[in-house]
Amino acid sequence: MVVMVLEKVPRSLRGELTRWLLELDTGVFVGRVSAVVRELLWEKVVEKAGDGRCAMAWRTNNEQGFALRLHGYQDRVLRDFDGIVLVSVRTAEALRKAEKLKRIAKAVRGDFENQTSE
Amino acid sequence: MPPVPPARNLKELPKFRDGLSYLYVEHAFIEQEAQGIGIYDREGLTLVPVAALGVLFLGPGTRITHAAIRALAGNGCTVCWVGEGYARFYAQGLGDTRSALRLQRQARAWADPGLHLEVVYRLYEKRFQEPLPRDFSLEQVRGLEGVRVRAAYARWSRETGVPWKGRSYDRRDWAASDPVNRALSAGAAYLYGLAHAAIVSAGFSPALGFIHTGKLLSFVYDVADLYKTEVLVPAAFLAAAEGDLEVERRVRHRLREQIQEARLLERMVEDLLDLFQGLGLPEEAKEEEEDPTRPGGLWDPEGEVEGGVAYGGDGPGEGAEELEG
Repeated sequence: MVVMVLEKVPRSLRGELTRWLLELDTGVFVGRVSAVVRELLWEKVVEKAGDGRCAMAWRTNNEQGFALRLHGYQDRVLRDFDGIVLVSVRTAEALRKAEKLKRIAKAVRGDFENQTSE
Repeated sequence: MPPVPPARNLKELPKFRDGLSYLYVEHAFIEQEAQGIGIYDREGLTLVPVAALGVLFLGPGTRITHAAIRALAGNGCTVCWVGEGYARFYAQGLGDTRSALRLQRQARAWADPGLHLEVVYRLYEKRFQEPLPRDFSLEQVRGLEGVRVRAAYARWSRETGVPWKGRSYDRRDWAASDPVNRALSAGAAYLYGLAHAAIVSAGFSPALGFIHTGKLLSFVYDVADLYKTEVLVPAAFLAAAEGDLEVERRVRHRLREQIQEARLLERMVEDLLDLFQGLGLPEEAKEEEEDPTRPGGLWDPEGEVEGGVAYGGDGPGEGAEELEG
């Protein structure tokens, strides 16, 4: 089972995908293809996506039961938590919190250095 | 040993086994995010499928909000703080079951010397491929077990080429151990956390151990020991074989692979239930909880009497509030 989500990609690419997959909704493709075909389709998608974005999920035998791939996303990345893959989004709130985390880490390090020098 | 009855009505069994085993997070804020759990760190906001998660391990530099803990507990996710040297601080939400029936069976088996011994034998028996000779004394069984564990270390040392000089660790100096011993200690922390989550999820007590006794996590050690040579030893040796650096991170990855290969999430709860099956204790026939908010019973030497009923009034069935009011 493969699911692909394509946004802002050329119409011709979407048309090409319908030869293998079923377009459930605009830009949402579902189907069952072999691993080789899946990889070739992904290569084609990445090559022809232009400034668009594509995401792919497919069923596989790991703990989660599926694997993921992203291309062309500005604010989303896949994160591997020691074998569990989750999606991280860079929101304004997240960036603010990351800054705060950095400040805390620096303060903790400062404290530690003060302690050891005493 | 009686064969395991195949048909069981266990609502919590599928839940634990279909889930994810564990997630390790460090240097992050963990907050409730639109009814879910969000991890904020350098990479951004990561939403966590928490209802499917067995254990959330929180490493150094994590801050978690009250709302997040409440959401985790509400989803039956165990939370462990893992610190320097992989000492564990546990927290637990209520398990997926609200019934105390299993805990009571565990307590009865624990308190009765004959049944206790039977459970100890069952625990040992689960670790061996062949059935244990029943005329063996516990001392002899412990001897066999020692041989089995040493053989597992030797086998994985041979297969991975990682030299093995015996299990050694210094509680006060983490870095002094060799990489494979560090991997074993770190991996054990995760395996214990997972066993803890399975025990709580199935409605047993982590404190009432059978082989191990006297600690609040004795039963956790009993259960985790069933799988140590099968999942932890290979994970630790494979992680150590990849190099010395960051062996604690790599063992988390390897352990997850071993857990999946061994179908551990599925087996843990099954094994737990097997331990107390067919001991002559009240069986799980009326285990099904149609209504988790139904009041529990009241103890009586003649047998349990119905709870949620005001006794001693003129009309039976009068509500307690009415009596007081």
